[in-house]
Amino acid sequence: MEPIGIFILAMICQVYSCAANVSDSVERMQYASVAGEEYLQGDRLETNLDDKVYFDFDKSILDAEDKSLLEQYLPEIKKAKIVRLEGHCDERGTREYNLALGERRALEVRDFLIVKGVSGKKIRVVSFGEEKPLKSASNEKAWAENRRVEISLY
Amino acid sequence: MNKALTSLNTFFLILLFLSLIFSMFSVPNLNIDEAQSIKINFYELIQQDEKLFDSSAPNTSVEKETKKTSAINKKTNTDETSIISKFKINKLGIKNEITKIKLSKEREDILRVSAIIQERISSIWIKPNSLSESLIAKVLINLAPSGEILNFSLIEPSSNTSFNESILTAMNKMTFFEEVLSLERKLFEQNFRNFNLVFKSSGEIQ
Amino acid sequence: MIKFLSLLFFLVSNSIFPVLEIEILKGSDNLSKVAFVPFGIESGIEENYGSQISKNIEKNMLLFGEFENLAVNEMLSYPSSENDFYYRDWKVLGVDYSLIGKVNSVNALGNLNISYSLFNINRRIKILEGEIVGSEDNIEGISKIISNRIYEEITGLRGIFDTKIAYVINSDADTYQMCISDIDGKNEQILFTSKAPIMSPDWSPDRKKIAYVSFENGLAEIFIQDLQSGERDSIQALGMTNSAPVWSPDGKSLALVVSFSGNPDIFLYSMNNKRLMRLTNHYGIDTEPSWSPDSKKIIFTSDRSGSPQLYEINTKSKRKKRLTRDGNYNARGRYFPDGKSIFFVHGNDGNFQIATKKLSSRYIETLTSTSLDESPTISPNGNIIIYATKDGSNGYLGGITLDGKSRFSLPVKSGSVREPAWSPLLN
Repeated sequence: MEPIGIFILAMICQVYSCAANVSDSVERMQYASVAGEEYLQGDRLETNLDDKVYFDFDKSILDAEDKSLLEQYLPEIKKAKIVRLEGHCDERGTREYNLALGERRALEVRDFLIVKGVSGKKIRVVSFGEEKPLKSASNEKAWAENRRVEISLY
Repeated sequence: MNKALTSLNTFFLILLFLSLIFSMFSVPNLNIDEAQSIKINFYELIQQDEKLFDSSAPNTSVEKETKKTSAINKKTNTDETSIISKFKINKLGIKNEITKIKLSKEREDILRVSAIIQERISSIWIKPNSLSESLIAKVLINLAPSGEILNFSLIEPSSNTSFNESILTAMNKMTFFEEVLSLERKLFEQNFRNFNLVFKSSGEIQ
Repeated sequence: MIKFLSLLFFLVSNSIFPVLEIEILKGSDNLSKVAFVPFGIESGIEENYGSQISKNIEKNMLLFGEFENLAVNEMLSYPSSENDFYYRDWKVLGVDYSLIGKVNSVNALGNLNISYSLFNINRRIKILEGEIVGSEDNIEGISKIISNRIYEEITGLRGIFDTKIAYVINSDADTYQMCISDIDGKNEQILFTSKAPIMSPDWSPDRKKIAYVSFENGLAEIFIQDLQSGERDSIQALGMTNSAPVWSPDGKSLALVVSFSGNPDIFLYSMNNKRLMRLTNHYGIDTEPSWSPDSKKIIFTSDRSGSPQLYEINTKSKRKKRLTRDGNYNARGRYFPDGKSIFFVHGNDGNFQIATKKLSSRYIETLTSTSLDESPTISPNGNIIIYATKDGSNGYLGGITLDGKSRFSLPVKSGSVREPAWSPLLN
């Protein structure tokens, strides 16, 4: 029921924005909850699982390995109130494009979890683009580690 | 008497006209872009000449060689006489060939000197940045036979003041084109006594 | 009769003889050499004012590597008025332009009257003469004004020595600073410090405000900061991610990117009624908008073709046109001030470099030769591009003049510098 809710919300939003002018107040209320930081107050739930999935350059596709990792997360997610997905890119390319790409990577993970039955309402998505690299070096190895979505449960 | 004089005048005039027109054909009209394209021009000229020879003379490879090295000069000299003996069949043909050779030699000389002048100006002209404007300005130059620049004037200025200024500044840095000393006097008078420099701005971002 | 004939001959010869034409397309790689002669001083004035002003002007003029200078100790004379000025003294040293000047006192309040002249040595003419009155404590400002005037006289382009630059410094893992400084790096001001990333600064056309993206609340949000008061305002009420703000040339609206439910598109945001108007609507990524100088079009990056490429959209008709085709990464396009060319980040064989393209041509020309170049910003006179690049793990700002004659890097700051944004001119 909830994923459908999110979907409808998104649809409403599209309809609103397709109209020439989007009035702001409606969106503010809807997205305040999505963007809200309330989960940061809660304690992070520790898991034994790797908390990152990795991507190819300029790509946001999950491979079989990523998917099996995410499936292992499902029982843990059941115990959590909030799933936070943080998308990142390597330093190559432009910053704003990478911000969008990081978001798309996090959404790819979100969509997979939703398909597997996780409530969309539980999921918080944020992208930092190339602004928060794990490794600051400029080589293939560092770049591969930086192209990631970090998963954290609260 | 008067009538005779005017008719004589007209006759002279016509003669003058004809000679002028004739001389016009003998002066090559050159449009040289960059050092590179000059090289291409040389190449084309040589090719052309070869073709001309090809059509009339069967043994032409010698001509190429005379252009290339002096090491084989001796051989070509002997060959040349043999060519001429072959040519004897057609005296008119020889005459034509000789004028052609002369003409191509003249062209080469003009191109060579033009290329040097072009290079020298390019090396001192500090071109202002004008990214998208395509500007053209023409400078007329009067040279003395010694190569000294007697006078220059911006006969066709561009619409851009700093472009014009940069050209005048560059022209003021030049005093001599002593390269023209290597030319035959006739060639100098025909081509370099008065000539134009065409400055172009396009080509910064291509 | 003979006179008549010769005249005729002259006329005919002039019109019929084809005149030899030599085309000059290539210019010299050399730079104009300028002598900045220490300014003279009227007796009673602080002695070093004269040399201070000429030194300042010299520093400004050499800032972007567009000119060569003549060292003061190589000069044969130190004239401060036209009467003492001899062209041959400069011609023999290969000087193209000489600047001389004199500082006079106006009154006891510390006001100075500075007169100056600029000579074209090759043409043997005075090309500029000026006078300026200013206060003793504004020697730097006076120098900038004179620098602008002589720069304009020599190059025909607007002087840019009183412009500013905005940039982001990341001094350690958790400190981000939004800064502005004069274009020569002096008078740095920190506008905002945060523990979360800051991105995409852009100057309002009146130079009074800066829009940028800050993650201080956990996600990308657009802020507008007033430079005078320091007040910050966020543009609220938008989608999940709000980013890439750029001011319209009239300053009345922003083009920006809003991602509703994860699909970033370009919107126009009116500063007056705070309403959003959608410009693009595509499931791919649309981002990095920037206005054409005439405000009629917006260039943006989109991966709708499968890789990031540049497009432009007419803000009225919403008709779109693809601008780049060569290579699989062309992003963050900006128009040149004349609107006829664009510059952007071009990915080529794993290198990311600054490139330009004329809108009328399909050819892309790469300007830079380092491999991680981004965020190019152009001088308001369209002659210089400054961009961010990386040396090891430290970011710094590099620059290049568009004729390719000069490459330079801006003074190194402590920490990693990124995202330069060149201010508009003060009108």
